[in-house]
Amino acid sequence: MGLSSNLLVIGLIAVAAISFVNQSFAQSTSTPTYARVEIWALFYRLMVIAFVVGALVLGVIGYIVWRFRESHPKNRVPTREPLEGGHH
Amino acid sequence: MGHAMHEWIYVGVVIALLCYVGADAWNIEKKLDISSVPANAQTIKVTGQQWFWTFEHENGTKEVGQLHLVKGQPYKFEITSRDVIHSFNMPDFAMMTDAVPGRVNSFWMIPDQSGQYLIQCREYCGMFHYNMRAKLFVEEPSATNSTTTAAAS
Repeated sequence: MGLSSNLLVIGLIAVAAISFVNQSFAQSTSTPTYARVEIWALFYRLMVIAFVVGALVLGVIGYIVWRFRESHPKNRVPTREPLEGGHH
Repeated sequence: MGHAMHEWIYVGVVIALLCYVGADAWNIEKKLDISSVPANAQTIKVTGQQWFWTFEHENGTKEVGQLHLVKGQPYKFEITSRDVIHSFNMPDFAMMTDAVPGRVNSFWMIPDQSGQYLIQCREYCGMFHYNMRAKLFVEEPSATNSTTTAAAS
């Protein structure tokens, strides 16, 4: 099993565990369910996750732009020979 | 740790978060589903027509343009329409369901805050759609009891 599969399985197990714990808490308490409260709480949780995913994507794009820019010190030495017009 | 490791961690984190989003929304939807309506819920029949709302309580009491509920009491709403498609919306309680002719749509809720709130139509239903509103009064249980007693005597 590759690394990717491992990570995927870990992620799915984490999700299942969190959902199960949430549900268990919901069932163990005798407080009534208020749709208004539940829906807004869900909305805020999903907003937090949306911003986290957004930050991750933006961070990765930022890193790629910064790291692979032409003027980055590590890009001074070409990784391959010029295709044409280069001097040997 | 090579580049691939970083990439897989990134992909794993994002997939896990998105799975959590799906699971969480699924849980809440199940929790608020009409099949989970509390046993002691009272049924309110809601009828939309151009351009007003009619409400009928379980005991036969009818209200037009206003609805009186008791705080903390579960209610099941059965919503239908007499003419065109409307949408029954109580924005302060995050509730909205279409009122469709020939069909009964349901949801349930427990009003948890007393006060006066807005009920409105959220599906364009003709010339006076903008004015198809009603008032929702959520009363404290004690206030309701005293009102009922006073009315009876």
